[in-house]
Amino acid sequence: MNEIKIKSKNLNVYYGEKQALFDVNLDLNEKEVTALIGPSGCGKSTFIRCINRMNDVIDICKVSGNIEIDGVEINDKNLDVVSLRERVGMVFQKPNPFPKSIYDNISYGPKIHGKGETKSELDEIVENSLKKAALWEEVKDRLDEPGTGLSGGQQQRLCIARAISVNPEVILMDEPCSALDPIATAKIEELIDELKKTYTIVIVTHSMAQAVRVSQKTGFFHLGKLIEVGKTEKIFKNPDNKMTQDYITGRFG
Amino acid sequence: MTKEERLKKRHSAEKRFRFYGLASIFLALLFVLILVHNIFSKGSSAFMKTAINVEVFFDQELLEIKNGASDDEILEADFFDITIESLIKVYPAKNVEEEDALIELFTTDAEIEIKRAFLENNNLIGKKINLEITASDDIDQLHKGNYPRDIPEDRRRISDFQLVIYDNLVENQKIVKNFNNYFFKNGDSRDPELAGIGGALIGSFYSIIICLLLAFPVAVLASIYLEEFAPKNKITDFIEININNLAAVPSIVYGLLALQILLATIQLPRSTPLVAGITLALMTLPRIIIPCRASLKAVPPSIREGALAVGASKFQSVFHHVVPLALPGTLSGTIIGLAQALGETAPLILIGMVAFVVDIPSTPIDPSSSLPVQVYLWSESAERGFVEKTSATIMMLLSFLIVMNFLAVYLRQKFEKRWN
Amino acid sequence: MNFVLIFLITIFSLSLFFYGRSKTKSISVEKNIKLNALPKFYGYYLVLWCSIPSLVFLLIWTLFEPVIIKSIIIETAANQGAIFNDKNEANLIYEKIKAIYAGTYFGDIDTILKESALSYAKFINLFTNSKIVLIFGIVIASVIYSLKKIKNNNKARDDVEVILKGLLFASSLIAILTTLGIIFSLLFESIKFFSVINIFDYLFGTNWSPQRAFVRDASAITAEEYEELKDAFGFIPLIAGTSFIAFIAMLVAVPVGLFSGIYMAEYASLKVRRISKPIIEILAGIPTVVYGFFAALTVGPFFRQIGENLGLTVSSESALAAGLIMGIMIIPYVSSLSDDVINSVPQSLRDGSYAVGATKSETIKKVVIPAALPGIIGSVLLAVSRAIGETMIVVMAAGLAANLTINPLESTTTITTQIVMILVGDQEFDSPKTQSAFALGLTLFIATLVLNYIAQRAVKKYREKYD
Repeated sequence: MNEIKIKSKNLNVYYGEKQALFDVNLDLNEKEVTALIGPSGCGKSTFIRCINRMNDVIDICKVSGNIEIDGVEINDKNLDVVSLRERVGMVFQKPNPFPKSIYDNISYGPKIHGKGETKSELDEIVENSLKKAALWEEVKDRLDEPGTGLSGGQQQRLCIARAISVNPEVILMDEPCSALDPIATAKIEELIDELKKTYTIVIVTHSMAQAVRVSQKTGFFHLGKLIEVGKTEKIFKNPDNKMTQDYITGRFG
Repeated sequence: MTKEERLKKRHSAEKRFRFYGLASIFLALLFVLILVHNIFSKGSSAFMKTAINVEVFFDQELLEIKNGASDDEILEADFFDITIESLIKVYPAKNVEEEDALIELFTTDAEIEIKRAFLENNNLIGKKINLEITASDDIDQLHKGNYPRDIPEDRRRISDFQLVIYDNLVENQKIVKNFNNYFFKNGDSRDPELAGIGGALIGSFYSIIICLLLAFPVAVLASIYLEEFAPKNKITDFIEININNLAAVPSIVYGLLALQILLATIQLPRSTPLVAGITLALMTLPRIIIPCRASLKAVPPSIREGALAVGASKFQSVFHHVVPLALPGTLSGTIIGLAQALGETAPLILIGMVAFVVDIPSTPIDPSSSLPVQVYLWSESAERGFVEKTSATIMMLLSFLIVMNFLAVYLRQKFEKRWN
Repeated sequence: MNFVLIFLITIFSLSLFFYGRSKTKSISVEKNIKLNALPKFYGYYLVLWCSIPSLVFLLIWTLFEPVIIKSIIIETAANQGAIFNDKNEANLIYEKIKAIYAGTYFGDIDTILKESALSYAKFINLFTNSKIVLIFGIVIASVIYSLKKIKNNNKARDDVEVILKGLLFASSLIAILTTLGIIFSLLFESIKFFSVINIFDYLFGTNWSPQRAFVRDASAITAEEYEELKDAFGFIPLIAGTSFIAFIAMLVAVPVGLFSGIYMAEYASLKVRRISKPIIEILAGIPTVVYGFFAALTVGPFFRQIGENLGLTVSSESALAAGLIMGIMIIPYVSSLSDDVINSVPQSLRDGSYAVGATKSETIKKVVIPAALPGIIGSVLLAVSRAIGETMIVVMAAGLAANLTINPLESTTTITTQIVMILVGDQEFDSPKTQSAFALGLTLFIATLVLNYIAQRAVKKYREKYD
């Protein structure tokens, strides 16, 4: 078992009056894929958006409790979200490449963080990121073309490359395959398998099969509560909780 | 550069950027304040006028009429001598020049004011009464503190001698401030103390009513057609492009249109609210159609389908259900369009509304002015008194606009249904 | 007269409504047939048939009657020996004749005028009588036609709806008619103007001084006279002045408007937004004559005072004052349009940028604005078109003389100012000076049309991209 990278303690999240997460305590291991499953609106997306404080963008959202990365509290008002997000990248449900060239999509992050002072350094970062995202071969001849012109699967890999470009420690993936066809999905899953050697990955997914294929650890959320968490094999073969059992066998969801 | 330095720099850039945004908004708000303050501080004094208390003796020897004279006789009669006699008694004058200087302190309409007093009571022959005669523009401005008295005499419109009289009058409490009824009642005049916006008010009123009567029904019918009945074809597209373009055509071009078509071709009378109303209607039409269509569009299709499902014709579904629901939005769009039309100046100048009109128009085909044109005309005048009058006219204009806009917002918020 | 006719037609139409309704009811009862529509539709049917043709006829007649009578009278006066050299004199004589007829003419009346006034009276009578007869004819004919239709139990509801639909369509055609009217009235005089002044001399001339353009006889201009004229109608100084003032205005409006738009879309809380947005939009609701007054009486002198203190000569009608105030007027157009445009950039793009650790301003500068750029450019172009068409501010606060200058402290003039200056007060008919105002109007119309077209396309394309 790898070391613990992220640790949440008594995490509560409110959207205005409505409470979205209730006392979530969840440990995520380094260089491992953790899958979060559960029916729609159960709070799994809300949870991962706490890890890079994306919830700050939503005015009415309030977070209480603790999240530590490498033992450092990130829910601290004094903590700089900009450097936090440099360490914790994110890939969204719908591919959202910027309306710019493929090159600019990748170089955007390094540029704002002052990585890659020279053109050649930037070129290198772009190439490495695209290679790691398994997109290099497909786009190396057309780096000047707009990122929005790629196919859905390619766009999502572009977004993964964009996340990798700033060399984060953690990558959060919010249903990264829900807008893709099966072939594109397979490619992304392969990629995730490769990426976990370098990064700690948290993936929210609706597909239980996907969770089984890509993750080592699985957490099941229901109505804002973390119901059960454990090794993926155990959760899917022999869950402790009746509700988990019902969910993975398709009785509700 | 270390990572910390870099982060610090990025965060200060963020703060700077945010500050620019806030500063821009404040700049815009500040300007609204400056403008309003400027207009109000200049204009509020125009609602009062300065008058001088004068003792008038209706001397039979100076008048050709007798007590109990009929109104016609009084109107015909010459009150000039009695006026002069009364005015020069306000202060002891030594010679003719000084008498002239004295008379100049009063409005040129002093004779009419005295006559009016006699009209009210035709038994005044041989009696003395005290009348508050309106002061001349120069004294008015001096008394209101708008005119500096410490500049050399040759650059002043008021002579030293007149200042002495003024100070004496103030000391004896002969100078009073009254509500300026002339400002609301009178038409235009070359003398600021007599000039009023009565004519412009009526002219604007007629123009806007004509604009409303023409533009509102046409705009509503056209929007209904385009939104509910128009087939998707070239003609419809062409009409839509036309409407969008017309809404952006500079207003002065509508003035040229009116000049050529309404005045030169079909020979409608120049300088009249009728022509102004038609011109404004043409200009306002596209600006009303756009919000009308938006409010028709906002009515969900389920309403139409519901009506059609009980066997109503397309017309009935539109006129019985859709139009009433869209009415608040339509009305508020119309009021905002009319408010814009009320403030419009350029096209009205071209159709000759800049003519100097003293009489209050009684019908829409009498020559007339309008509020914004009056602002333009007076702002070109040299007399100091007109600055105050112009600002006051702007205050009136702005208050009409504010009332109209509030009405529009009220209508929309009170009656409009929110569709989710 | 017209009011009486309209009143009669209205009364008659209304009574026909009740007649039609009860008539069809009784027919259905008597003959025991099922009506094809509710009885009231037969009433509507009669009303529409009775009123629309006669009112349309009345409108057309009223529009054209004075024109026709005028040309007839001027011709008869000419036949009787009245002498007039040009249109101006003809108009004068016509006005005299009208005044004699109305009994408000107090000058000398010679026999020609007297005869003409008599024939004027004759024609007025004739026209009025024939108008009344024709209108009654039309009313009777259409009523007979529609009554017959009703007797045959037509589908009154459908017929009424067809007529109403025609009415709706006609209303929407007014937009096209207005455009045609604008084009016609601008072209009509412009063509006359360009038949005297070569279009290239107009477009590329560097001197504008129409007050010098006295022409005795527009149809026969000597070469010498033309040399004079050519120099009076050079468009370059006007377009230079117009663009210059618009440029100063945009220097104010674009940064302030754009930053306010960005702040309101990206930073402002709902409460701040709800208060500040309408206050900024007040700026767009203030009549331009008010800005003109403020610019001419407060800002212009203020700048001149500052200039004096700094030892600069500042004209009290400087391009700077006019441009600055115009810029302030335009702020809300830029701010609210760019606010809308920025708001429609999808949140997912912002999220993508935040997720790699960008700050808010970096996201706005590098992701949101580039994405919204076509829309922003469109809104700026719309603002430019408003600036060049704006009249009152420049009429009151900019200069009258056409100077070719790029010194913002001097005075310049604009297209709209010149149109107003030429057309205000008495105009000479058929003089190139008057016609030049229409040529300027045409130029302005085309310029704003092109700008609006490009702007609207840019905004539309942008909208489609993210919808």
